[in-house]
Amino acid sequence: MRAYALRRLALLVPTLLGISLLAFGLANLTPGDPAETYLRRVLDQQPTPAQVAETREELGLNRPFMIQYLDWVGHAVRGDFGVSYSTRRPVVEEIGRRIPFTLELALPAAILALVIAIPVGVISAVYRNRLPDQVVRVCSLAGASVPSFWLALLLIGFFAVKFSLVPVAGRQGPASILLPVFALALTPTAILARFTRSAMLETLGEDYVRTARAKGLPGWLVVGRHALRNSLIPVITAFGTTLGHLLVGAVVIESIFIWPGLGKLAIDAILQRDYPMIQALVLYSGAVFVAINLLIDLSYTLLDPRIRLGDPGEGET
Amino acid sequence: MTGFIRRFGFLILVLGLVLLGPGCGGDASTSSDTSQQLNVGFAEDQYVLEGPDAGLGMYPLNANIFETLTYMTSDYEVKPLLAERWEFRAPDTWRFYLRKDVKFHNGQPLNAEAVKEGLFDRLAKIEGGSTILAGPDSAKVVDEYTIDFTPTAENLRVPEQLVHPSNGVVAPGSDIGEKPVGTGPFRFVEYLPKERIVVERNPDYWGQKSELDRITFRFYPDPNARRLALEAGEIDFAYEVPRQDVESLKGRGLKIETSSVGAYEAMFANIHGEPPHDLLGDVRVRKAVAYGIDREALVERVLDGLATTDQTFVPPSSLEPHASLVKGFSYDPERAEGLLDEAGWEPGPDGIREKDGRRLKLTLVSGFPSAEVHRPIPTFVQSQLKEIGIDVEIVERPDSASYQALIDSGEGDLYLEQGNQNDANPGFLPVLLFYTGGSGASAPYQSLFAPGPEFDRLIAPSLTTVDIEKSRRSVAEAMHYIIDEQAVILPLAGIYSIYGMKDSVEGFEPHPSSLNVRWNAVSLSG
Repeated sequence: MRAYALRRLALLVPTLLGISLLAFGLANLTPGDPAETYLRRVLDQQPTPAQVAETREELGLNRPFMIQYLDWVGHAVRGDFGVSYSTRRPVVEEIGRRIPFTLELALPAAILALVIAIPVGVISAVYRNRLPDQVVRVCSLAGASVPSFWLALLLIGFFAVKFSLVPVAGRQGPASILLPVFALALTPTAILARFTRSAMLETLGEDYVRTARAKGLPGWLVVGRHALRNSLIPVITAFGTTLGHLLVGAVVIESIFIWPGLGKLAIDAILQRDYPMIQALVLYSGAVFVAINLLIDLSYTLLDPRIRLGDPGEGET
Repeated sequence: MTGFIRRFGFLILVLGLVLLGPGCGGDASTSSDTSQQLNVGFAEDQYVLEGPDAGLGMYPLNANIFETLTYMTSDYEVKPLLAERWEFRAPDTWRFYLRKDVKFHNGQPLNAEAVKEGLFDRLAKIEGGSTILAGPDSAKVVDEYTIDFTPTAENLRVPEQLVHPSNGVVAPGSDIGEKPVGTGPFRFVEYLPKERIVVERNPDYWGQKSELDRITFRFYPDPNARRLALEAGEIDFAYEVPRQDVESLKGRGLKIETSSVGAYEAMFANIHGEPPHDLLGDVRVRKAVAYGIDREALVERVLDGLATTDQTFVPPSSLEPHASLVKGFSYDPERAEGLLDEAGWEPGPDGIREKDGRRLKLTLVSGFPSAEVHRPIPTFVQSQLKEIGIDVEIVERPDSASYQALIDSGEGDLYLEQGNQNDANPGFLPVLLFYTGGSGASAPYQSLFAPGPEFDRLIAPSLTTVDIEKSRRSVAEAMHYIIDEQAVILPLAGIYSIYGMKDSVEGFEPHPSSLNVRWNAVSLSG
């Protein structure tokens, strides 16, 4: 398993190189000039061609595409991801400052989603086609469909404005985290609940479960000890994707709740054509997803002892 | 039970810490802790913190930490501020006589040396020397309270341009990106990027001291969240209230203050386009478009009555007493159709006009600063012009960068923009966008929209006269030409700033340029 993990980590480098080249290319293809965008913002007026040319030279934008990219790679391998075109501060510093804010929302939201989704999915599967199942299915459909910005504003309007139970926005005391975490957790909860339900239904139909019931084991023991653990692999896989999305930031929630995380940083970088920031955030996102996928794969061996990683036909039982 | 607690108690404890612990960071105060603490909701935090363009507390949110040599009233008049008076010394120098009783927040005196370093030398490091065209040798100290400024190129509008808050005087030696030090009625307390900037009253301020002890400016990128924060009482004041929220806020007992017109909503016609974007090269077609739009309906129905039908493009106040030279267009669809008939465009089978096998189809590019700002105006224009037989295709662009790309390529007929005037130079926008005799500013705009020698001739005096009234007349005449005679600019509405606040907020003067809002006269009652 260690060899497997090391091989996967070694693949991180070419993966990130590929992602960064793609992101660099797409960013450069996007219409708009970063120098002009920056100058328009700081000068509060249309810049002159001379000013744009001066800024382009300052930012190195007048060099050929591959020269810019290779220069960036050369610095990136030394941990220098350049300076943000819009704030003029080191990109690493800007991202480093924002990561804790994203984690403040992402981790509680992920845990909340898991803690709610699994029991709810199990209940839905056990009471298949009965009232609890129907309620769960309707709620999870709604949860997966509701736009997060609408939900966020609804929550604010109800809990913050009407009843003044929590602040409207901003990091103002312990209660301020409740609404953004809930708004962020809703869609993953709905999706994970559905995954859990599907996986449980499949497992509950297995022969060994029927055998366990036939042997007279209590229902909660059959479900909780025998069926649930064997249903978790697809759920954990979906959770990994969800966690990855949460860890790279949630643009809408961060904007509405004034949470200065990575999602807002990313959208601002795109709108301002801040290439160094876009590159660094893409790399960060790629690394997050690769790392999470690896952890998920490794967790399979805990959930299912039949799975061995690193043997010929990796991941096979 | 003990088994349950043993098994799950730790998990519950961890969950509690994970859920509630992170929220312990940040400011615990919400609404006013003291009677004179004002909480203000602003839009996005776009402060630049490094480099020559750094402007924490200065721009785009003017936290009243810094002051300029001159300032602009809400009527676009230029008044003394840190400079008591100024004069033009031919051929190209401005002399400023500074106020003598002013200190920076750190106790340093304001004098000519400080202004040289903290203003003119600072601006000289910005690309192009900023709007005032400052160079490294532009400023010369004459005596302790007198300073000369000579732009790197002729610039007779310096006092009008200096009103912009980015031209604030910074204390020499201070770090504007870390701890801004100015002369303003408020001094810097703290800044949390993307969250808030806090200022407190400057007890040694030379002018009218504020009754407010402290102002906390909170950043709300989302206007809905800003509005909700105002409704919840979390903030006392909000910039840029969306039009559609005005009635709802009034219904909740909140106050709405509006300024005079300070911004425009207008379309620019591409008069130099290549096929298929050459249809607006004919002035009759442009005038038909102008006559075909019911601006009163636009203001009443689309903009909720919260705009004006001014068609001066430049704020009318900044052209007074000559604003009446610009007539604009009435809503006259019959006249519009007559012009199109005259131009040879005949109604086709579907009502859209045709000529020589070509449909009268225009591409409307929306817009600057973003398409979102203009909705649903493009759809309104589209439906209005269809009535007179013009087919309009709407092309939206999400941000200014991608909008600019369509300016550069010329792939449009009508370009929809909203812009505002943040200094007192009446010719600022027309010269920047349409004048071909200048430094080459906005060359892409000129290649599509420049009306030509007659416009240049009319507006040139605004650049060569020190007399601001003559400058205003020159600009008004040029706007008459470009709007009334040539219909290159098709103004749709005059936009004013909308501010929302609690009833307890008193003394606020709504400025058409939100950059120039001053807080020292504001107080909280009750």
